[in-house]
This record gives sequence, structure tokens and C-alpha cells, in this order.
Amino acid sequence: MQIEIHNLTKLYDQNRGLSPISLTIQKGELIAIVGHNGAGKSTLLKMLANWIIPDNGQVTIDGIDLRNRRAVVRKVGFVPEVPNLFDFFSVEYNLKLFASLFQAPLLRVEEVLTEFNLLPFRNNKIQALSKGLKQRVNIGRALLADPPVVLCDEPTSGLDFEMTNELYRLLNTLHDAGKTILFTSHRPEEIKSLATRILVLHKGNLVFDGPPQEYFQSAVHEKLYAL
Amino acid sequence: MMRNILALVLNDLAVALKNKTFYLVLFIPFFVFMTLKLIDQASVEVSQIKIGFIEDYVYAPQLLNNVKAAEKNLAVTWVESEKEGVHLLKEKTLDGVLLGNKKDPERTTLLVLKRESLQTLAIIEVFSALQNAVEGNPSSWISDIETLHAGGVQRQTLPTWVLMVVLLVGFLVLPAQVAEEKEKKLLLGLLQTPISEVQWLIAKVIMGMVLAMIATLIFHLLGGFAVADYFGYIIFIAAGSFCFSAYGIFLGFLCSNQASARTLGVIFYLPHLLPSALSDFSQQLTAVAPFLPSYQFYEPLKSVLLEDGRIASMPFEMIYLWLVGAFTFYLAYVLMKRRWLM
Repeated sequence: MQIEIHNLTKLYDQNRGLSPISLTIQKGELIAIVGHNGAGKSTLLKMLANWIIPDNGQVTIDGIDLRNRRAVVRKVGFVPEVPNLFDFFSVEYNLKLFASLFQAPLLRVEEVLTEFNLLPFRNNKIQALSKGLKQRVNIGRALLADPPVVLCDEPTSGLDFEMTNELYRLLNTLHDAGKTILFTSHRPEEIKSLATRILVLHKGNLVFDGPPQEYFQSAVHEKLYAL
Repeated sequence: MMRNILALVLNDLAVALKNKTFYLVLFIPFFVFMTLKLIDQASVEVSQIKIGFIEDYVYAPQLLNNVKAAEKNLAVTWVESEKEGVHLLKEKTLDGVLLGNKKDPERTTLLVLKRESLQTLAIIEVFSALQNAVEGNPSSWISDIETLHAGGVQRQTLPTWVLMVVLLVGFLVLPAQVAEEKEKKLLLGLLQTPISEVQWLIAKVIMGMVLAMIATLIFHLLGGFAVADYFGYIIFIAAGSFCFSAYGIFLGFLCSNQASARTLGVIFYLPHLLPSALSDFSQQLTAVAPFLPSYQFYEPLKSVLLEDGRIASMPFEMIYLWLVGAFTFYLAYVLMKRRWLM
């Protein structure tokens, strides 16, 4: 599974967004995309998830053009920053609905409920869950079709320390299972020991692409995150 | 494809039940039914009455002379045939047409849109007053009243209520629901599955049609209103609810949140509802209303429900509604593809 990104661009008003960016992502990488607010982290992930239509550029995921959305969604699971679930309904209902749309067997719902420790909450309405639990359901939903690539936009946003660590453990588990993971964070210190590769975006430009050790010794880190 | 559409429709109906949209659909027919029970009587002044005479018929000279003398209260129009009289009556150019009685020229039949209307009452009052003023005329000039529209007040207002509920689902319920799905990123979440944009749109349109048809069915069940052409009527309600559901979904795509969708919905709802529904009471509105899709829905409804008309004889309105629906469906598809305001 390889992701090829070539000249991917999305510009909003006042030159915000993402300048042309090109990179290749290999199977099994766990990539942290860091940068300040408005750097273009979420824009990049949302374009890969087909949430935002790029202005320019080309992306192929395992040889499939990103514009072929219905094929790509089986390859890519996207976990947005704010869980977008049907609040009125239970955890189980939400998972069953999406499993049905993926034409996945209902057994897969049971697997996800078990894998993500959601069995005790299966009949709880989404609106009654804590943010951490909602995020777990959100990730579980994204993994219903067992996609090889998982994109997480600010997965720890609004979570406390304990929940954040639990979520990072979950990302590690998924990584160990061979999935390619991209996630965004504006707190690089937190992902020091987690990511295998770091992409740094600044004002829509890719200013660093390399391993974590190299990044934390680089001038980019010094410049962007020095107190 | 069908499986996905079915799953989406069931989910949409479940959402409609949860967010109380269903209660709205159930409440309005009950509310209307109860209101109708209370408003069977009214009194309003009618100024000059526009009455038509048929050139082919023979009328009593005494009747004609007195009508001519009462020009302050009666505006007389001579029409070539009964058919033309009916046409002008439907256009509200005339309030009534006097049909001559071939056996007895002294007596006439009054043709009106509705028996229980202010116009009919006023015509009878004026003619009675004229007759009373003429000495030695024992028999009544108007011996019979014929109506174009069947039924009482409840039935006569039924087309308005059906129009109202179909527009309500189209312009108020659906835009808000679409905007909510956009606002909460639920739509984007659904597009993270292999469903197509068209499947999602079809599911939404079906939901709108189901809601509108349930409400219409409740009207008929509560009022016990029968229809001469059931099949045509159902197809026509389907065409109307398709048109306005697709229209409403398109409006929902123009908004980024529920509040703006509701506002936009009301902005479209009232101008579609009022000119069409009130065209019965105003000649000017009758001239303007045909430009609205709602009028092309309302007029055949009136014909079927009040005049035992057949939908098969109204292909223009049927095609018009399907075309407007298809066009707005396409516009919604384009906006959805562009992730408009998502």
C-alpha cells in the first residue's frame, strides 16, 4: 500500500490552505503531521479523505486515483477531529448503519465493539458518551471496513492525559497490525516516541519531512516551537 | 444500490422520528382537522357581483331589465357559450353564471364554483332583493344552483391543506435536515462509505415523499374524503412531493447550518403557498400564481378533489412537476459533488 501525492493544492481566501505538496507514503508508516493552527494539516488529511476537493494535484492510493471515491473509501478510514456520529442513536446502531453501507458482515460490528472495549456501551446513545468514548466509536466506525490506511485529524483534541495516552496506545496497536497511519497534532512533544516519520507544515508549506530524532534536533522545531 | 438506498431511507425515517419531524407531520393534519370543525361559518361583505349571461339562452325580459337597472350591484358579462362561462368562472373573472331554463324562461339555474361561498350567498341575496322589488312575480328567478366544486367547506379547503403539507415537507423539513447533516458532518461521514451521491439524494427524496404522502393519507382518513381517480391522484401526489422534496434538498445545500436553512425555507415556503392557495380569492393572484410550481400542483389537486377531474387529462402539470424536481435534484447533485458549504 503506497500513497503517492503529487502537487496537491488547496487554497482558501487570504492564501490560507495548502501550497503544492508532493510526497510518497510507504505501507506501515506511522506519520505525524505537525504544525500550528492554520498550517494546512487538516486540509491535507481532509483532501486524502475526500472531504475537501483539491484545487490541483493528483493522489493515488494503492494505484487508485483519489477521485474514485467509492473505491478509495475502502482503502482509507478517516477519523475527524469532532466525532460525526448520529447522536440520537446508540453505539451499536451507528456501527450497524455504517457496516451496512460498507456491506460488511454484522459480525464485524461485534468485533469492533470488542476490540475497542465498547461492549458495555453498545446500547448507550452517542450523545450520552464522554468525548473519549465518542472518539473510540469514531475510530471503530472508521475501521469497520478494515482499511489499510487510517487518517486521524487531531485525535487527542479535547482529551485528558489518560485518554490521550490510551488513544496513542490504540494507534500503536493499529500500527503493529500493519496499518498505515497519518495523524495530525499541534503538540509535537507528545508524538516523539510514537511516530516513525514527521511532516511539518507551516503556512501551507511542507517545511520538514523526516524521522522524529532528526526533527527534534532541527532548526524547524527550534523555530516553530521554541518557547 | 437498492440495499444502500433502503438502509439510508430507514435511517432518515428514524432520524425524522427522533428529531420530532414526524410529530410535525402528524400534528398538522390533526390541527387542520380540528380547525376545520371550528371554521365552517363566516361572514364577509361582497361588493359588486360579476354575473355572466349566456348569449344562446333565452332569459325573461323582466329579469334582464331589473339586472340592468341594478348595475351598481351587478356587473353583467355576456358570454358566447356555457363552456366559456365555466372557463371565466374558474378564472374568477365571474362570480356566477346564469343558465337559462329552456322550458321556462322565467326561471334560471345559477352556476357557481362553490355552493357555500360568500359570492353565492351575495348573488342569491341580490337577486332576491331585485325580485322582491318587482310586484306580482310569484316564482323565483333562480330555481336551482349548480356547483363546479363538490363537497362542503372541509372538502373545498382540502387542496390547500395538501399543498401546505407537501410544501412544508419540501421547504421546511428537508432543507433543515440536509443542513443539519452538513453542519454536523454526518453527510461527509456517510460519504466515507461506498454509497454514491445519487443514492443519498434518492434516499432523501424518498423520505420527503413518504412524509408528504403519510400526511395526505391522514387528511383523507380523518375527513373520509374519497377520490374518483385514486391511481392518478397517488401518482400526482408523488410527482408534487418529488418536485418539492428535490427543491428543498437543493435549498438545504445552499445553507451551511440549520438556522439559515429554516429561514431560507420560510422565504420559499410562503411565496409558494400563499399565491397558489389564495388564488381562489383573487383574480390578480390567479394571474401571477401559474408561474409558481406550487400552482401547477394546486390546480390539478383542486380539479381532482373538487371537480372529479382526472390526472390523465393534465399531462402538462405532471411533466412540469417531474421536470422541476429533476432539475433541482440535478442542482443538488452538483452542489453535493462540490462539497458546497460542507
